[in-house]
Amino acid sequence: MSFNIENASLTHANGFVALSGITLSAAAGERVAIIGPSGAGKTTLLRLLGAALRPTTGGLSLLGRDPWALPVGELRSLRARIGVVHQAPPLPQRQRVVTAVLAGRLGQWPLWKSIASLLYPLDIAGARAVLARLDLGDRLFDRCDRISGGQLQRVGLARVLYQQPDLMLADEPVSALDPSLARQTVRTLIADAEARGATLVASLHAVDLALAEFARIVGIKDGRIAFDLPAAEVSEVLLRDLYASECAGAAELPTLANEPRFAAHVVDAGPVTQGARCR
Amino acid sequence: MTGVAALRASAMSDPAARGRATSLVLGLVVLWPLLVIAEFKPAAIFEAQNLKTMAGFLAAFLPPETGQEFLVYLGRATLETLAIATAGIVLAFALAMPLALLTTRVLSVAEIGPGPGRRRAQALHYLLRAVLTVLRGIPELVWALVFVRVFGLGPAAGVLALALTYGGMLAKVYAEILESGDTRPARAILEAGGSRLQALLYGLLPGTAQELTSYTVYRWECAVRASVVMGFVGAGGLGQLMDQAMKMLNGGEASTILLTFLALVLAADALSGFLRRQVGEAGTGGRRSGIGSVGVLLGLAGAAAAAISFVYLGIGFGALLTLESLRSIGDFTASFFPPDLSPQWLSRVGYGVIETLAISAVGTLLAVVGGVVLALPASGRYGLAAEQFARFFLNTLRSVPELVWATLTALSVGLGPFAGVLALALHTTGVLGRLFAEALQNAPPQPRDALRDAGAQPAAAFLYGTLPEVAPQWLAYALYRWEMNIRMAAILGFVGAGGLGQLLYFELSLFHYAQACTVIVAMLLLSIAVDAASAGARRRLA
Repeated sequence: MSFNIENASLTHANGFVALSGITLSAAAGERVAIIGPSGAGKTTLLRLLGAALRPTTGGLSLLGRDPWALPVGELRSLRARIGVVHQAPPLPQRQRVVTAVLAGRLGQWPLWKSIASLLYPLDIAGARAVLARLDLGDRLFDRCDRISGGQLQRVGLARVLYQQPDLMLADEPVSALDPSLARQTVRTLIADAEARGATLVASLHAVDLALAEFARIVGIKDGRIAFDLPAAEVSEVLLRDLYASECAGAAELPTLANEPRFAAHVVDAGPVTQGARCR
Repeated sequence: MTGVAALRASAMSDPAARGRATSLVLGLVVLWPLLVIAEFKPAAIFEAQNLKTMAGFLAAFLPPETGQEFLVYLGRATLETLAIATAGIVLAFALAMPLALLTTRVLSVAEIGPGPGRRRAQALHYLLRAVLTVLRGIPELVWALVFVRVFGLGPAAGVLALALTYGGMLAKVYAEILESGDTRPARAILEAGGSRLQALLYGLLPGTAQELTSYTVYRWECAVRASVVMGFVGAGGLGQLMDQAMKMLNGGEASTILLTFLALVLAADALSGFLRRQVGEAGTGGRRSGIGSVGVLLGLAGAAAAAISFVYLGIGFGALLTLESLRSIGDFTASFFPPDLSPQWLSRVGYGVIETLAISAVGTLLAVVGGVVLALPASGRYGLAAEQFARFFLNTLRSVPELVWATLTALSVGLGPFAGVLALALHTTGVLGRLFAEALQNAPPQPRDALRDAGAQPAAAFLYGTLPEVAPQWLAYALYRWEMNIRMAAILGFVGAGGLGQLLYFELSLFHYAQACTVIVAMLLLSIAVDAASAGARRRLA
């Protein structure tokens, strides 16, 4: 079992209920896509799986351990086995791409190695290899503020590929990429997970991409699981229902083709812009 | 992809490595002679003899002297310090206003067209700018040291010294502020036949009055700090009392005076902050009169404070301006010229310049290290208790002026440049630590948090997630403080801490005015060079 959430709920400090009564589990090597309207709780669910947020109630086990029952040192080594691709890549502006990628293994490296690698990058070949898989091999020594938003998002992905985690979590990993690059990049992620037998959980805005590339689809709405089905069994009706409030009366579902994209940092849009996604 | 880029991309080694290694080696090659020149010998702090002197002196700090007679002296000296600062700023303002008016380009009628008399106007403009450079390029303490020889010991020298240096600074910054805003209204008034003063009042002041007032108040705060140490050269106030206490090794009195320093500097800090906030809130419109009632009240209070200051100091400006005293001032000034330009003396002054640079560089470097070490707890990384303690420690370090630190460090490690290094390091650590901590608190937390969530140790998350965000800011702060420390290192020698100041103090006490003149010119040139270098560096960084 890669992870197991049992009847977990999460209420933010301001009283907002982000998740309620979530029960979800995945076997090692499974690949799951999470879909649902903005504000449904996709990011919160991924943060729960990344041991970055603690559930208010309910049980949680990640890679066979309960993260919140572990002492600090063991929690750290558990986290080193979980990789998170953030929607807005959390990379310092003035850091070089090579350093940003190598930082993926800080959880595995001893401190002396982390310091030494700042003076001279210790694994240039490794960083170059993962960047090459994302078509970025030539940006190795560029600074993060000198590359485009789409390239920056792929640097964030390269960091997690370099980390080689057992549980890979991706929050809108391709939101800043054009449709064909998005598809290609998601395939790279899946191939990597497949090759290493790692579990992959990705939240995606583009429903068609999720249905085409992932075997299992979890639909989330208002902090609850709406459905959890093999891709083949997800019907048009279910999808319309899932996005009902967001696209009241609209015909189209969010897909690769009709989604507003090329925004470098699609941060949590919030309820104000929900309608904007529907055209 | 171009050929070069392809070549670079295929390289399996870091293309930046060579540059980094070169800078590292160069840095060490430059640092080594600097350490030697600054007589960097940390072991001196721990020598048994030095430790004993220092420990004996510090032991006497407790209890602080609270005798009634001494407290009366102290009260008077404190008031005198405040009065020197206030009177000095008033005179500086009186000097700066016309100078700023005349050096502000946008207020020049001759610039329009260009009109008649442009050449003459430009010549006057450059002449006045040169005068300003000389006024503010020579530190106030040097003016004070010279004036004490003309007007005798006492506050008059301090007030005049502040008036000259701060007059030069205010005039320059006033002109910059006036030219930074929208200058079209002023231009329109000039083109409509208005005078320079009218263009200022109706065209420029409405947009810049707040900033001008705010900067003047800030300068007053600086003047309080400056006049605290004025007494070290005999120009009255608390410094004179401190100087005596140090010479007598009277620890009890010294600690009382130091505590008064802290209180005074913190109070001036708070008052200036309060006044500047008032200025910021004033003038939000909707009133019939030009300034609100609060503005009028504050203005009246300021005028009253200025009047009281002059009365309290009782400087006989009339006596200063008699024919006889003017003649003696003229004779005294003439004795400085021509400066001694003999090769032997020039080489000694040249070494003094290098020593000054070395003191400032090593002192700033130590302060960067100390500032980082204290900024980490002060930014709240290690809990509230550590944060409060680190902040208190930093405030204490920066509340004590460099010159006062220098009297203490000279006692600890003996006279010489190393005492100056330590003094600069202690004060600057306080300043930089606070700035560094602010930068840490303002750094975006996401990169660091993401690394921690991926299992990185806190230290590694800091190095990879936070340091790249704050490093450019830290560097900018450090360079800015280094610039200020070069000026400060030039005068630390007045209390025996090496550099140009020690040379000047020595020559002046031997009445070698021609030699002293050379040193003053060297200080001036150093200040101008630092100005130009920092302006150039800022242009490149921007």
